Amino acid sequence: MSARPGALIAIEGVTKRYLTGSGPVEALHDVSLSVGEGEFCTLIGPSGCGKSTLLGMLGGLVAPDHGRLVVDGRPVTGPDPRRVATVFQEAGLFPWRTALQNVEFGLELQGVPVERRRRTASELLGPLGLRGFAAKYPRELSGGMKQRVAIGRALALDAKILLMDEPFGALDEQTRALMGEWLLDIWRRTRKTVIFVTHSLHEALFLSTRVAVMTARPGRIKSVLELSMEYPRSMESPEMVALRAKLWSEIREESLRAMQP
Amino acid sequence: MKVGLLRLGLLAVLLAVWEVAGRAANPLLAVPPSAVLPALRDLLLLRSYPDLPASLLLTLREIGTAYALAVAAGLGCGFVLGMYRLVGRAWGPMIAALYAVPAVVWYPSLMLFFGLDAASKIAFGFLLGFFPITLAVLAGVRQVNPQLVVVARAYGAGAVTVFRRVMLPSMLFTLVGGLRTGLALCVIGVVVGEILGSKAGMGALINHAYGLLRTGDYVALVLVTLALVVGSDVLASLLERHARRWTE
Repeated sequence: MSARPGALIAIEGVTKRYLTGSGPVEALHDVSLSVGEGEFCTLIGPSGCGKSTLLGMLGGLVAPDHGRLVVDGRPVTGPDPRRVATVFQEAGLFPWRTALQNVEFGLELQGVPVERRRRTASELLGPLGLRGFAAKYPRELSGGMKQRVAIGRALALDAKILLMDEPFGALDEQTRALMGEWLLDIWRRTRKTVIFVTHSLHEALFLSTRVAVMTARPGRIKSVLELSMEYPRSMESPEMVALRAKLWSEIREESLRAMQP
Repeated sequence: MKVGLLRLGLLAVLLAVWEVAGRAANPLLAVPPSAVLPALRDLLLLRSYPDLPASLLLTLREIGTAYALAVAAGLGCGFVLGMYRLVGRAWGPMIAALYAVPAVVWYPSLMLFFGLDAASKIAFGFLLGFFPITLAVLAGVRQVNPQLVVVARAYGAGAVTVFRRVMLPSMLFTLVGGLRTGLALCVIGVVVGEILGSKAGMGALINHAYGLLRTGDYVALVLVTLALVVGSDVLASLLERHARRWTE
């Protein structure tokens, strides 16, 4: 958890409180974590542990009360889509835009000329498995396709860092497993630095180079697991089964605590 | 094609019923279409009412002014109520309740305040048009999916871009629908205002013809006013279609 030299992302002593109707709630307490370039780092923990808040901070959408976040050498002060691209749990596609226009969205805001951004977006549709769906509107796409359009919208920015907030959380199990394999492939080809929030042990172990387990509220980093196995990983290997048991026992403890009133 | 034929068919049946019934009735109280046509010709050739163009222009000006005011105030109030949630929760239901009051009850006091001239008609048209526009904007703002606003911000949109790229397209249909209803009600407000009490405008001419039992002229004037109303609605629906294309 100590700051890694040359880390692309450094979270330093970050604390966040929210004011609610029943008084202040501490979402994050003194969280520190650093992530190196090219890593696939997963945040996992019980509901309400502040994973999404932490991701929101990295994306510049939420400001910390204490501590600071440094991304690519610069402190985070607001959204910076040239360096950080975000994928949300709900695809959040614009219903009045076609799949292609949705993928183009970020480039459009950056003032990229229409021919160039159209080319970039079209080239992305192939690897996204959306060839032939460029002119479809979100309502005509399945859940998995919508989420791939949302990922395409993030990839189009060509930012170094990809933040993913439970991107497959709303999908059914089969689609989810396939999307995981697909994402792994994309990540290995593009070598982005990914911060990935999930509730799924399977996803965490299948995808990550590192897994950070967070505690029940107020969220802290409980432990960090380094995973050095080759991709693609077999989930049935003795090593993986043991890791899964270890990870589960840590998360279980926190989930039980989160359930207590 | 079939729709058009059906429409023409209904029109022909109505005209036929009107003709038969009109011939049977007292000519002072009702006139058949065959008697309206000459009256309409006299009206349009400015024989019966030479001040028709001036009256039409006055009424159009009143409608235009009332609508412009209603749009400006409606957009302003609607956005304030929509963006500031507390204000919207406090005052939104009050506006909806006022909208439900038959607005004509306010007209006598509007005439007292603004006199018999154009101002009271503009005020009444404004009053009728303001509510549907405000409520449409309010409903439109509430329709905006907050998730999409977050997405736009994450992708670098500032307040103006969020408004243009997310809020406007999200609420467009509701907004345009409200603007269209508002226009129709502005027209009604101005014409009704003129009929209830005025010295000039289409309503005053209608009152004149009706008061003198010049029933043919009266019906002809009503037809001209009807054309005005239908024309404004056709114009609004064209704008609506245009807006639809513009968002895509």
